[in-house]
Amino acid sequence: MIWRRIGFRLLALLPILFASSVVVFFTLNLVPGSAASAFLGNHQTPHTIAVFNHRYGLDRPLVVQYVDWVSHAIHGDFGQSLQSQDAVGPQVVSRIPITLELAGLGMLVALLIGLPLGIVAAVRRGRRTDIGLSIIAVGGMSIPNFVVATVLVLVFALQLGLVPVGGYIPFSEDPLRNLTLLALPAIALGLASSTILFRIMRSSMLEVLESDYVRTATAKGVSFRMVVLRHAFRNALIPFLTVAGLEFAGLFGGAVIIEQIFLIPGLGSYVYEAVQGRDYFVLLASVMVMATMVVVVNALVDIAAMFIDPRRVAGEAR
Amino acid sequence: MLGLSITIAVLLAAILAGTLAPHPPLLIDVSSQLQGPSSAHLLGTDQLGRDTLSRAIYASRVSIEVALISVGIGAFFGVAIGSVSAWYGGALDMALMRCMDILYSFPAILLAIAIMGGLGTSVVNAMIAIGIIFIPGFARLSRAASLVVLKGQFVDAARAVGMSTHRILIGEVLPNILPVLLVQVTSALAGAIIVESSLSFIGLGTQPPDPSWGNMLQQGRSFIQQDAWMALTPGVAIFVAVLGLNLLGDGLRDHLDPRLRGWS
Repeated sequence: MIWRRIGFRLLALLPILFASSVVVFFTLNLVPGSAASAFLGNHQTPHTIAVFNHRYGLDRPLVVQYVDWVSHAIHGDFGQSLQSQDAVGPQVVSRIPITLELAGLGMLVALLIGLPLGIVAAVRRGRRTDIGLSIIAVGGMSIPNFVVATVLVLVFALQLGLVPVGGYIPFSEDPLRNLTLLALPAIALGLASSTILFRIMRSSMLEVLESDYVRTATAKGVSFRMVVLRHAFRNALIPFLTVAGLEFAGLFGGAVIIEQIFLIPGLGSYVYEAVQGRDYFVLLASVMVMATMVVVVNALVDIAAMFIDPRRVAGEAR
Repeated sequence: MLGLSITIAVLLAAILAGTLAPHPPLLIDVSSQLQGPSSAHLLGTDQLGRDTLSRAIYASRVSIEVALISVGIGAFFGVAIGSVSAWYGGALDMALMRCMDILYSFPAILLAIAIMGGLGTSVVNAMIAIGIIFIPGFARLSRAASLVVLKGQFVDAARAVGMSTHRILIGEVLPNILPVLLVQVTSALAGAIIVESSLSFIGLGTQPPDPSWGNMLQQGRSFIQQDAWMALTPGVAIFVAVLGLNLLGDGLRDHLDPRLRGWS
């Protein structure tokens, strides 16, 4: 049964990806002809703009452009950069693992902070630990990642000299150096998410701890530690996982800013470069690939939730 | 209470920027570049000798304006879509909500960047972009809340006396879903300030020389070793403004929890 549901969920990726591609393409074409005026500037003659549009196929109807773009993109052909004239596809492919690693490490930071502290706060509800952690969480939620990044660079890179200001080396070349370089970016990226995860874990845990089966288990003499870890935690994990999936997906958006601050050549930097260079095809490709990563992450989270909560599969099958 | 006080203080700073700011925000003074805090410049100056405190105060105006207008756009269209979806149900509801789900699944900043890529760089476009990213959240929430309200007998009564759909949705449903919307508005305002400052930080929002917390921090990063105040001041300003709204939202949620109020 569960494998069938997983199959359905994976099949559902196709219409979702199609819809995402429509959103991305038509969003970037909200103002028809904006690619030419953005790249060439506003002071070009109509002839220059017409030549530009004809050269890149931008003078065709939008629907035709969309179909053409999608049919090429499926084969990994995302066109060429307006700035460098290089093929966009290989650039995108080489940058995906970098952003995935950064977002993964950011998520790890968020989980390592949010999950245990959420449990501790719920178990110690109303006590000083809970109140203190909750106040810190509201504070943490209120700091954007680029402010955290700036403070981290100032303190740990510039003042203390513990880590470099920025840069990137692939994990395969030098694992230790790779992790050292990604430490600050991952913390900056994951810190805000950790506060959200803390709050959701705390509230889910509180709800579960007040449920009848936890009371029964306690009444039957099961130790509090066992009640928390074996009964409450597993059930609290279900809403937590849904939020964690959304947060993980959100980290790809945050990567646009964090990669630029720490000079990491990932997909986020590519989006940034495309925006700065008004590079239509690069922007289209990099935003679409990021959207695809988000959609895939959401599907994987849904599948993980099916394993943790078999009721979800049974309920959907009914 | 603390959240409300902070929010009012930030609002006042934005409204009274002209009176509160000790110097004009765009006044260049090459003789006092990158100075630390002093009696003449309480939070120092930037690379062009402009007063950091004055720029931060004026920047609050940009942030508040963008936040209010963009959340207004998001709430207006979101509530319209959500309540119409709840009222008509069926295929229209299904189609509208699937569109909202797709928009909702995009990371906010990525969607904002894509919209700015389509519209071009300006503060007005930033307002539109941020407004659009808030539409799905308001639509989903107002649909869920409207569905509950629409089950009420007073709605049946309004239908029975022949009140039009338009009047029922605005006159009967909207006032009943306002408490839940209010909580969403405060968290959306906090989110809008963060997204606006993020867009300005990467050069897509407010354009220099006009000050915004995002572009001030971006400029400040280049001089952080000579003058950390230049970068830290806008960072603290964002933190305080967003913290105030988050605390206000938490407080409102506790007071207006629909389950506690039994508004259904």
